[in-house]
Amino acid sequence: MNNGSGPQPTDAAAPLGPAEPFVFTGSASEYYRIWIVNLMLTVVTLGIYSAWAKVRRLRYFYGNTLLQGHGFDYHADPVRILIGRLIVVGTLMVVNILSQTSPVFLLLIVPWLVALPWFINQSLAFNAQMTSYRNLRFGFQGAYFAGLGAFVLMPLLAIISAGLLAPFSSGFRANYLGSHTRFGTAWFDTDAPLGRLYANLGATMFFLIVLAVLVFGGLMLESRLVTGGSRDDRVAIFILLGVISFYISYFLVFYAYRAGVRNIVFNTTTLDGGHRLSSTLSRRRYVWIMISNALMVLGTLGLLWPVASVRHWRYLAQSTHFHPAGPLDGFLGRESQKSSVAAAEYLDLGGFDFGL
Amino acid sequence: MDVAGLFFDAQRSLSRPARLARDAEGLSLLVDGEEHPRRPQLRGISEKLGRLPRKLSFADGSLLEVPADAPVDGLLPRQDRFFAVAHWLEASWKYAAAAGVITILLLAVTYRYGLPLAARAAADITPPAISGMMNEGTLDTVDRFIFEPSKLPEQRTAHIRALFAGLTAPLVETQDYELLFRDGGRIGPNAIALPGGTIIITDQLIELARSDDEILGVLAHEVGHVEQRHSLQQVYRALGLSALVVLAGGDSGQLVHDAVNQAAVLQTFAYSREFEDAADKRSVAIMVSDGRNPLAFIDLLDRITAGASGSDQTTMLSTHPGAADRRAAAEAEARALGWCKDCPTDESKKGGAQ
Repeated sequence: MNNGSGPQPTDAAAPLGPAEPFVFTGSASEYYRIWIVNLMLTVVTLGIYSAWAKVRRLRYFYGNTLLQGHGFDYHADPVRILIGRLIVVGTLMVVNILSQTSPVFLLLIVPWLVALPWFINQSLAFNAQMTSYRNLRFGFQGAYFAGLGAFVLMPLLAIISAGLLAPFSSGFRANYLGSHTRFGTAWFDTDAPLGRLYANLGATMFFLIVLAVLVFGGLMLESRLVTGGSRDDRVAIFILLGVISFYISYFLVFYAYRAGVRNIVFNTTTLDGGHRLSSTLSRRRYVWIMISNALMVLGTLGLLWPVASVRHWRYLAQSTHFHPAGPLDGFLGRESQKSSVAAAEYLDLGGFDFGL
Repeated sequence: MDVAGLFFDAQRSLSRPARLARDAEGLSLLVDGEEHPRRPQLRGISEKLGRLPRKLSFADGSLLEVPADAPVDGLLPRQDRFFAVAHWLEASWKYAAAAGVITILLLAVTYRYGLPLAARAAADITPPAISGMMNEGTLDTVDRFIFEPSKLPEQRTAHIRALFAGLTAPLVETQDYELLFRDGGRIGPNAIALPGGTIIITDQLIELARSDDEILGVLAHEVGHVEQRHSLQQVYRALGLSALVVLAGGDSGQLVHDAVNQAAVLQTFAYSREFEDAADKRSVAIMVSDGRNPLAFIDLLDRITAGASGSDQTTMLSTHPGAADRRAAAEAEARALGWCKDCPTDESKKGGAQ
């Protein structure tokens, strides 16, 4: 129900096509004004309003994301978010100051790594519980050791192997996330096949090679063309350009890889055994949107951030489909388990990204 | 009042068309054309936001979704007015533009004045025990990784120690100072101040100096860092800056996040230059009041820069201002304090003081 058009027919009468699109009905111009008011109130209140701003932002994005005409919703209590944020900021300040007093405190990274899976599980549980569709909450039931594998050990393995085991790590994590998430009492299940994840790595490598040739060629051309200025200046400019293009290339490759993983993961995710999800991100288009968004935001010193944000969200929504095996009005809910708002806010403030 | 919407039972994904009406006895709900068995107890109404439908939640966990413009605002006895104001602001480009201007101004003021002030206040109320711990920790680290024990003769260090004690005699009421001598190893001629009042000077710096005033000027500069708690302020400013970045940047994505962090690092260099300026000024003041040459340490700096083939220009990437800028600033400060280069009164004043 949208645009005040009044009640719609019951679900039983709704046509059940093979693929239901996720539709985003928000607009950049509308979100822009919400964002700027959020930002102003956050700054005026020295950050306290940031908790309310977060809830308002997520309600806007979730609420405007529709499946079969029904929007999603975000329900977190801003006061709890604020408390979580205060705990996180206070702890970070203490740790930061302690680490200035003695390098011994850098060893805190060990207990931090041990606790990280717990943090992530709690955070996922909190965020899932605060998300609803058709008045039913989502849920996430983590497991410590699987989480340790998915978020600490496997990523380490991927790094040590110089990316060769990255598909293994991505698949393990996606399967963990998918298979521990539920909608009401119905469980999702993800089974991303390793072969396709490796094919995705291969495609990314091809992309990387093309990119490397372009960057290298561009730099060579630059060193030929630029002849003015002192030799030191020319070397400095060359190195600067090299570093910047390396950095941007890193992100291009990262996004190209991630787009492929998302498609594979969504395409192998089911809900309650029969309903299916699908994702049709185009690698090139996704990379273009992410990079041009970043340049747009940086170039305007953040002023176009809401536009970039809506553009990204809309592309993700329109590239995602739901394939119902039957009507969606038979799902049942259940009581939520305990979860930690502080863990959720820690990962949120730290910019932790699950990549989905 | 009579509103049409979609009704969801508690814990079920089934939606049904419904009507909510209010009569003299309260609210009544008509679901699928049938009267709901009990009168609904309204618990909350979602705030207005864009064109999103409003959601009325009831005590039993059921929910009624109504269009954005449905007249439901008077239904709860106490509905928060605040978000109605926020929604009203959000609805107009004029107010949004005003909010944008206010935000930018406030961010600029916070960044330029608020952050340094807050960092200073935080540094002032930090208990001495913390700066003591930082002092010990840093000393431990630099001794392990950078410095070697001093190789200067006892006589020389005793001489400098005595001069330093004389220089800081009027200052020790508020802060204890400890002077340590170390072989600078790969960092060469240098002096550092630790937050608890420990000042380390390297053999190489002392060997490079041509007069006591040059050494004392550098030490007075380090005293300035300690007095004004620059290391603590630096820590707090960096923390405040990252908080500001998180607040203003929000969930801006990895690439933007990284770029902003790089800008923040550049900013900490600027902060560092600001602290160096302040310490230079303090050095000049201490030296002038002790009747010594307040510019001598700049000569020493010049010699260090020449030796290290460093730049005397201030750039965005310098932690210290360029030597040329420092000399000009120190001279201006000294002149403002009534010091002049070749005044004969200087020496006599010094003689009188001793």
